Amino acid sequence: MTTTDATTAAATTESVPTSQTLAADTRRNSHPLLRVRDLSVRFEPKMSPALTAVDKVSFDLLEGEFVGLIGESGSGKSTLAMALLSLLERPGRISNGSIEFDGEDIASMSQEDLRHRRWRDIATVFQSSMNSLNPVMRVEAQFRDAIEEHSELRGDAVTERVRELFSMVMIDEKFMSAYPHELSGGMKQRINLALALCNRPRFVLLDEPTTGLDVVVQRSILEAVRRLQKEQGFAVLFISHDIGTVMELSDRIFVMYAGQLVEQQAATTLVKDPLHPYSKGLLGSYSNPRADTVRVTYIPGRPPDLTRPISGCRFAARCPEAIERCSSDEPQLLPLAGGRVACHVAHLQRGPSEDKPDGLPEQTTRFAGPEFVKTAEDSDRARRGEVFLEVDSVTKVFERRRGLRKQQTLAVDDVSFALRKGEVTALVGQSGSGKTTLARMITGVDKPSSGTIRFTGSEGTIAVEKLRTRQLRDYRKHVQMVFQDPYSSLNPALTLRYTLTRPLRNHRGLSAQEADAVAGELMETVALTPSNRFLDRYPHELSGGQRQRVVIARALAANPELIVADEPISSLDVSIRAEVLELLQELVTGHDIGVLYITHDLLSARLLADEILVLSQGRVVEQGNALEVIRNPQDAYTRTLLDAIPNPFEQATTTS
Amino acid sequence: MRYFVRKIAFFLATLWAAITLNFIIPRLQPGDPAEVMVQKLAGKDAQLNPAAVQAMRAMLGAPDGNLFTQYVSYLGALAHGDFGISYTYYPYPVTEVIGQALPWTLVLVGVTQILAFVIGITLGAYAAWRRNTRFDSIVTLGSTFIGTLPSFWIALLLLFVFGYTVGWFPTSGGYSASTPGFNGPFITEAVSHSFLPALSLLITAPIGWILGMRNTMVMNLGEDYIRLAKAKGLPDRVVALRYAARNALLPSVTGFAIALGGVLGGSILVEQIYDYPGMGRLMGEAIGNRDFPLLQTLLLFIIVGVLLANLVADLLYGVLDPRARRAQS
Ligand SMILES: Nc1ncnc2c1ncn2[C@@H]1O[C@H](COP(=O)(O)OP(=O)(O)O)[C@@H](O)[C@H]1O
Ligand code: SF4
Ligand SMILES: [Mg+2]
Repeated sequence: MTTTDATTAAATTESVPTSQTLAADTRRNSHPLLRVRDLSVRFEPKMSPALTAVDKVSFDLLEGEFVGLIGESGSGKSTLAMALLSLLERPGRISNGSIEFDGEDIASMSQEDLRHRRWRDIATVFQSSMNSLNPVMRVEAQFRDAIEEHSELRGDAVTERVRELFSMVMIDEKFMSAYPHELSGGMKQRINLALALCNRPRFVLLDEPTTGLDVVVQRSILEAVRRLQKEQGFAVLFISHDIGTVMELSDRIFVMYAGQLVEQQAATTLVKDPLHPYSKGLLGSYSNPRADTVRVTYIPGRPPDLTRPISGCRFAARCPEAIERCSSDEPQLLPLAGGRVACHVAHLQRGPSEDKPDGLPEQTTRFAGPEFVKTAEDSDRARRGEVFLEVDSVTKVFERRRGLRKQQTLAVDDVSFALRKGEVTALVGQSGSGKTTLARMITGVDKPSSGTIRFTGSEGTIAVEKLRTRQLRDYRKHVQMVFQDPYSSLNPALTLRYTLTRPLRNHRGLSAQEADAVAGELMETVALTPSNRFLDRYPHELSGGQRQRVVIARALAANPELIVADEPISSLDVSIRAEVLELLQELVTGHDIGVLYITHDLLSARLLADEILVLSQGRVVEQGNALEVIRNPQDAYTRTLLDAIPNPFEQATTTS
Repeated sequence: MRYFVRKIAFFLATLWAAITLNFIIPRLQPGDPAEVMVQKLAGKDAQLNPAAVQAMRAMLGAPDGNLFTQYVSYLGALAHGDFGISYTYYPYPVTEVIGQALPWTLVLVGVTQILAFVIGITLGAYAAWRRNTRFDSIVTLGSTFIGTLPSFWIALLLLFVFGYTVGWFPTSGGYSASTPGFNGPFITEAVSHSFLPALSLLITAPIGWILGMRNTMVMNLGEDYIRLAKAKGLPDRVVALRYAARNALLPSVTGFAIALGGVLGGSILVEQIYDYPGMGRLMGEAIGNRDFPLLQTLLLFIIVGVLLANLVADLLYGVLDPRARRAQS
């Protein structure tokens, strides 16, 4: 221990006890636990242009503090995390700045000295941590090596400690001898959390620790994080693009955009009065689901290309509040309203009035950009449409052979509902609840074990469950799927023109020229305008939201009457989700298409859907008008799902 | 457990199928299978050599009786290790001929395979750990280059330089004057005779392991669990061995077990070049002399070897990779 500060030295040798008092003490009278100055990280790959992924980032993090770091994907959060952990790998390197941990610069420390501080002082739970346990080692052994490396504990004492850690995250100790593949995703993440805490670290970095897990599981893990942090007093940097949870958990928030911190603010202040337009944009993606009218904003466009030099404010191209100065002068991260913000307009608005230039936009707390609005009237209108899809007592049993025995799984159990033209029905449930199986039966991919599915289209009524291969092909023209991941559902080697004209020629039998014209129209429909500028692009030249628009345009090419959208926004950043919802909404109202919206997220279901079906273990446990279901959930399971929706605004009003 | 039982059952079934095919194929033609076979091998117009027919019949079993009794007596003969008589080495039984050659090959090819594996894995793992350094480039480029050289050419070159030009090592055979057995002079001779063939094999054999291990391990090094192991502050040695190499080794181990199965087949080219008294040379002779009983038995040996090796590979994989046990059971 080479620290110069007597108080913290004492604190660490006592191995961080019941330390809320301690955290408060150190916060008052010592240097910050983590002091980062002008930190830049550059990637210099051999094959592609170099970029500065983290650009002159400076911040302090105090002992025992819980700080959230938010920003769209690609903004540099993970890169910053890797730099803080000194785990950057080529072609990435710290190109500038310092990282002081407890007064010592770890960016310039030798690897060997650093190694002894790892996991004792700084521990982490990774993003996509589904894979952060060694698949061929038993879980206990992966605790043991970390504990023995950094402490005096050996033998049974280690086992005892691991047992204690398991009970801390509420995992049965019998799983100590399990291999990672024997654990569920949620259990793995709890175990990763316990692993991070095994040597009582002072700082824990969490990089999207729950992304990809079911909302209910996410909730329980994050509650464990917060509880343990309160009990043990370690400092946390919590990275997530799920703004709602970050807001709820954190004391302070850092907002990152295009490699820079653009705002640092206490969480309660940020919720009420975000200063940076980008922060407003991120926050605008939340809305109270219980309100009659839900409105969420989205940030159009996409982040700048970091391989090119940028002059002025990096957010200017997407900023609704930009003024002239924004495109020429780079705003600095300067103190304002108890926090820090890098925005000309925010500073001018709150500065002395004589400095205010003409045309300075009005001070606002909402993002002044595009908005997605869904009113109760919209829903009422939709629910008067004409029924065109009737699912009646549909059941699906899967049989799996296990040796000589047959094992039966009831994937969908006696589900009935109707879908109207111009209506969106959401199927909500955790993974494994039967949503996708139901969708597969409706699209004719699977046959129901019993029950009927009637589709009434331009060619009369069809019994979907009885269709054969040839008829199925015709049927699928009327029914199109939009999948979760716009990145993998577009062929990266094909231009959008090709992607769009092929189904036009196949399904509608258009000539090349006609198809081209219609492709242009489709692009206009999904608001990729002017279409000429987009048609010759490749998927990688588009943002996530734009790609999902292309996927939708492709679905529209077949002139469908029903669109089945399976988690179409869950892989998108919150800042652009509303963009896709807006588009789907327009299709529904403008083209009289019915949409079956599949999701595990009740909040987004509320945003888009008129009718909600909550599925649990293959059964419909709740069904009805979307607003009613949200306001008056009858089933316990629906209430669990509802409770899992973070509501930062509600909390801000209750705690302040 | 289930996994292991399944794998063993599968092995037995394949083994039975191979043995049975060996019985059925010669009987698919009309007539006395032994005569037909010998006629085929000797050519249409050649005189039938009674000795050859006799040898063949000893192997195929008597043509009389119904197919079932033939099959039973065939299996019985196999069970007693009765594979017929080689007519290259007439009147020695095939088993005796093979019994003479087998130890030579087992030792030569077995030892070089094991050495090659150990060397290859170590170099590959180290190159991956130090990826993109000079060591890595030398190992990767070097082995890729050597891999492009024909192995018989390497063997001939070694034979020419060390056997004839410098004369350090004997150029043919497995021993010269000593009596085979467990005695000093014989072992010394056997080792010096084996040296050049072994070296010829050793130059090219590790290449596959080097490149395979390096590539798998480089991929594994990008995994989250490696990053986490580093974040845990474990020493490099532990990260490299227990986390990276342990996982990267899995595909190679199965590959290795299968490669060992090939040992029974010997190394035809090298054994012929050095006139080494092993299975490879025997195989060459059997083909050259159209010694059907010998050839057939050699093939059966090789098949059994490969099947056994596959079984071992599967069992080993089940032990090493906990995921395999569950995924397929
Ligand atoms: N290994 C790498 N090589 C080159 N560029 C990279 C590499 N890793 C990340 N980047 C780039 O760095 C930027 C920040 O990425 P990242 O830190 O992953 O953001 P976030 O975690 O906020 O989603 C992105 O532009 C990304 O393309
Ligand atoms: S500096 Fe200008 S462009 Fe940048 S965020 Fe502020 S107002 Fe928008
Ligand atoms: Mg990230």
